Amino acid sequence: MKPELRRILFSLAVLLWAACLLYFYGSGRIVKYLAPDFRPIALAGGLGLAVMGLFNLLTAWKNASCGHDHEGEHDHEGSDMNPFASLILMVAPVGLSMMWTTDAFSQATLARKGLYEEGPSAADSPFFASMLPPLTIEEIEKGHRRTSDGFLEFDLMELFFATGDPEMQNLIGGLEIETEGRIVPEKVNNPDGTRMRLYRMFMTCCVADSRAIPIILEFGATPPILPENGWIKVAGTMTFPEEKGRLQAVLEVARATPADAPMEEKFLLR
Amino acid sequence: MNADAQQDFALAFLSILFEGAPFILLGTLVSGFIDIYLPAGTMDRFLPKNRSLAVLAAGFMGAVFPVCECAVVPVIRRLVGKGLPVSCALTYMLAAPIVNPITALSTWKAFQGQAPWMMTGGRMLLGYLVAVGVGLVVAKVPIRAILRKNLADRIEKKPITEPEETTCSSGCDHDHSTHDHSEHTHSEHDHDHDHAATGDSRLIAAMRSAQKDFVDVGVYFTIGVAITALFNTGIAPGAEWLDGLAGDPLIAPAALMGLAFILSLCSTSDAFIAATLAKFTWGAKLAFLVLGPMLDVKLIFLYQTVMRRRFIMYLSVSLFVVIWLASVLAQTWLIETR
Repeated sequence: MKPELRRILFSLAVLLWAACLLYFYGSGRIVKYLAPDFRPIALAGGLGLAVMGLFNLLTAWKNASCGHDHEGEHDHEGSDMNPFASLILMVAPVGLSMMWTTDAFSQATLARKGLYEEGPSAADSPFFASMLPPLTIEEIEKGHRRTSDGFLEFDLMELFFATGDPEMQNLIGGLEIETEGRIVPEKVNNPDGTRMRLYRMFMTCCVADSRAIPIILEFGATPPILPENGWIKVAGTMTFPEEKGRLQAVLEVARATPADAPMEEKFLLR
Repeated sequence: MNADAQQDFALAFLSILFEGAPFILLGTLVSGFIDIYLPAGTMDRFLPKNRSLAVLAAGFMGAVFPVCECAVVPVIRRLVGKGLPVSCALTYMLAAPIVNPITALSTWKAFQGQAPWMMTGGRMLLGYLVAVGVGLVVAKVPIRAILRKNLADRIEKKPITEPEETTCSSGCDHDHSTHDHSEHTHSEHDHDHDHAATGDSRLIAAMRSAQKDFVDVGVYFTIGVAITALFNTGIAPGAEWLDGLAGDPLIAPAALMGLAFILSLCSTSDAFIAATLAKFTWGAKLAFLVLGPMLDVKLIFLYQTVMRRRFIMYLSVSLFVVIWLASVLAQTWLIETR
């Protein structure tokens, strides 16, 4: 194969990856795929690939020398694989994925990623409680805004991880709080049909690494009709009852209303 | 594949691709410029002459040149071609993704509240010891048993170290004091020097080399990411049994090592996943954090751009056994000292 053709094929493969990265970044869809820290890196990667691909495409016919005479066939560019095969292997999976993606996981995969799992327990994390500085209710109130009707705004993450932190349970158990997340039916521990599940995804780096962070919503009666997997704001009293030998984070709901989806699943560090 | 499976695969596949592609680009740009601009034997000069001491030093090179496991493979491929001893290159390849300040910071951050210094220190120490151990063993093995045939051919055609260099005016940076240009055998292939090369010309050559490396690595990376996405989303069979193994002191580390192998996470971010594996012991998490940057699905594919398949198999089994054993012993020690 002529070196020029090989360079063009390689450049096309690189440019397609660049276009994919830049499209997802430019369209804002990248927020569904990468945590905030990684998005500028993806942009830089897309731009870098575009520069490399374009540079090599535009100079594909130019003679270049690294300072050695290779008599026409430049071994610095020799590849183990047929360039057409390389192009197809790099382009086909990306193209198919771009066609298939809906920027969200199915319910089955959400279940795999912890949607119906319990929160951590103190016994599971022996270092957890002992290593944290002591907390007071004043500090908690100082660190959380209060809604106009008197509920303290909590992130779902804090409520989920409280099952592994006895000190936190003591402080926020019985508190009136408000939080937000996506609502889905409760498929476990729901004998009376009065419960729903609230979750959001905890993305560490990319969505493949993400885990669902859920708590249980106890309505005390048949839950109101809310859009399944839609975003809601929910307020009520936080409790940590023991069920089936494990502490559960259960919010006894006072009000639940549909809400706008936040700009993104936030990247939260403990 | 049904519609749900397609959307799950696509989301996981693209996200891992977006996360890894910039780091591969970084690695291949470095490797491309090393290929064209770095004189053969340069890296060797930074290391002690004694081969064992050189391996020990190579284990710390990640602290100076922090590279993740995706980026390190194309870099070491070029470095080996440029005369870095294979034992040092493999030590650097295995240690650099772990023994570097970025990974140390992310591990410490992720394990806040879970004895972060112990986990960070344990990870760095075990990663270093395993990498150096591999390097010392590899130093005794013929390179043809380790490297792919074409790479081994190139290395055996060239002298490993060159005499004191005197940079020539054309900028090829090679020593010309003791050999005849017309008969010179270069690092990559037999050829004559062309002293008319300009800066622009070499830049084009470097960019071409980088792009070629990117495509070579990108193909294997794509295959690895596709397999990872299939496991990650449960399309590939078998993952639910994992949690049931968490309480077993012998099987739990092996189970998390298997998980690290399948998930193929980046060493700069895997600690955030490990920290959430609440059901597993400290030792099992340590095994996860040390094995993952050294061996996973995508790395198996990437390693094939450098090493022979038989050697990769031996290396994989050795890493698995050694890290499993070390993590079980570390967990036992921890329980006894608490």
